[in-house]
Amino acid sequence: MPAIRPSSKRKAPPDGFSDIEEDLLVFGNKMKDAQNTPTDNIPKHQAQWPIFQISHQRSRYIYELYYEKEAISKKLYEWLLKNGYADAMLIAKWKKQGYEKLCCLRCVQTKETNFNSTCICRVPKAGLKDGQDVQCVSCGCRGCASSD
Amino acid sequence: MLKSTYKPSPGALQPLPPGWTEHKAPTGHTYYYHADTKESTYKRPGAPPASFLPQQPPPINLSDPNVANAFMAQYNAPPPQQGQRGGFGGGRGGFQPRPRPQPTDKPRSKVAIPGHEPWILVYTRYGRRFAYNPAKNASYWRIPEKLMPAILELDQARIRRKAGLEEDEEEEGKEPKEATVSARPVTKQEEEQKAEYDYDSSEYEEVEVTDDEGDGDGEGNAKRQRTEEPGADGPVEFTEADIAAQLAAMGADYGDEDIGEDEDWEGEGSDPPFSEEDARALFKDLLDDFKINPYSSWEKLMEEGKIIDDPRYTILNTTKARKDAWEEWTRVKILERKAQRATEEKKDPRIPYLAFLQQKATPKLYWPEFRRKYKKDAPMKDPKLADKDREKWYREYINRLKLPQSTLKSDLKILLASLPPSALNNQSTPNHLPPQVLADLRYISLDPSIRDPFIEAYIQGLGPPPTAKEGELEDDVATKKAREDRRKREKALQERERAVAEEKRRQEKRLQFERARLRDEERELERAMVVGKKGLQSQLAGERLAEKMVIKREDEDQ
Repeated sequence: MPAIRPSSKRKAPPDGFSDIEEDLLVFGNKMKDAQNTPTDNIPKHQAQWPIFQISHQRSRYIYELYYEKEAISKKLYEWLLKNGYADAMLIAKWKKQGYEKLCCLRCVQTKETNFNSTCICRVPKAGLKDGQDVQCVSCGCRGCASSD
Repeated sequence: MLKSTYKPSPGALQPLPPGWTEHKAPTGHTYYYHADTKESTYKRPGAPPASFLPQQPPPINLSDPNVANAFMAQYNAPPPQQGQRGGFGGGRGGFQPRPRPQPTDKPRSKVAIPGHEPWILVYTRYGRRFAYNPAKNASYWRIPEKLMPAILELDQARIRRKAGLEEDEEEEGKEPKEATVSARPVTKQEEEQKAEYDYDSSEYEEVEVTDDEGDGDGEGNAKRQRTEEPGADGPVEFTEADIAAQLAAMGADYGDEDIGEDEDWEGEGSDPPFSEEDARALFKDLLDDFKINPYSSWEKLMEEGKIIDDPRYTILNTTKARKDAWEEWTRVKILERKAQRATEEKKDPRIPYLAFLQQKATPKLYWPEFRRKYKKDAPMKDPKLADKDREKWYREYINRLKLPQSTLKSDLKILLASLPPSALNNQSTPNHLPPQVLADLRYISLDPSIRDPFIEAYIQGLGPPPTAKEGELEDDVATKKAREDRRKREKALQERERAVAEEKRRQEKRLQFERARLRDEERELERAMVVGKKGLQSQLAGERLAEKMVIKREDEDQ
């Protein structure tokens, strides 16, 4: 494993990073808070929901900046992916039809689930019973079907 | 029936020592202030510490069910908020919990007391009442003794009227119980009340009610009264409370209607007289004004909620429209920024570092020491410069400091001479030298007190600059136009706001008028129903029938 270099010796991030640095810092702080909150009094399966949600938000933020607003350069985008600011696999899914709003990768995984199917949050609202309020087990998603 | 909510205030028990004055805080607390010592306290000064020994309440006759009920209600009530009966006297003002905010009581109706002409009996919204003498401008929660018999009569008359037994004596078989019961307890209850109040008979006298005391009653005891009194005061009181409750329910209905109508109105009102484009432009101006970062996400903007209070926020009706406008705005802004960056000359990161070196570097410090000492400073942390380069420049600079002045001067002259006339000419000022000069070690290695006059002299000896291009005027025109547009939009917004306010005022007035009319109608309806009942009863009475039919027809016509 390569040594972790101090910030003074690290290579500078690509241009344009200073524009989004502040927002990324906010996300980072949120993530730290989520990681440090005690999970003693919440159900076990809910412990990681905030982590998933913040990670999703941050990925979405970078995805939109690059693909929709074209506000950041390819160089910066790749640097962000490399440095773990966004989840490249999740973004890869968002580019596919039907997965535009996917909440997390675990929710499209059909293996090792009870009914060999995707998560309940992938079901469009029209397919649910009226007034059925779902929150998926893996990330607390309330529904991420593209048709909603 | 003859209830009184009079409550001796604890403050009335002991006069304040000289110099102290009593005040009321905005929160409703009473506090005391000494003007000379500038001291203020919640505790009543001069009062001995209140004894909290539970005082034995006077024996109550629990065999009477009414009294027992009242007693139980009091006994089970969660910790008594205040010495309600005044028996627990003493300076307790300081320990009073903050009063819960509750609607204040207000007079609702008044009845002249027959026989005592200037006196009137005023009923409040919460079903309490007090005697009022407009001639003397005095009011008493406790009914004065001399008015008692007249008020008793008044009550009996009212009860009878309510029961609808005024004239129909033959109907007695059905409802006489209530009548007789209600006629009797009035006197009996009074005795009970007296028995209850006996132990503080020293206070059993007419005491003028002050405003704040009335408030205190309304706030602290309104709820208790509701729960307690039906038991304590018997069936007569119940009917009145019932009516009050009904009234309250009606009021609530009105309230609901209000909200509904307001919402309706909101829907109408935000119908913009602006065109879609103007509204969007205004919303974008708002984003500009708050210096929103175009790179941030919409969620962050909503979370912060800075812009929500601005009137321009509601110009666009839906959040979707706002988001659209925001998105458009961010795209434009980001593009603008990019263009600006492209045209803007690149700032050399070496300039601030070298300036920093000139300020801080000394031959006394080796590079590692220097770095450790100033590692928190911005030029030392700048990621655009490599640490290696920084070290190199530092060493060079330190070495140059050891050189003689004449060498340094000639070096600087060589540097200045190497610049083309477009970069350095007789119109450039010493404060705005080209970056090529600033980012050079030869420039900083000479002391500023010698260097600056030297450079100035050199510049004056130079020729004029080659002819400059003129592209700035066009920019000016464009910005001026944008500013003009914006002023126009803002003016339109102001006008619209004024119109909206006007409309709102009119709407409110209409609402009030409608409400008043509705109330009138309801009252009329009630009256009509009463007449109808009487009409049924008096069918047997015969001779009045015709007259009532006339009344009924009239009502129906209305």
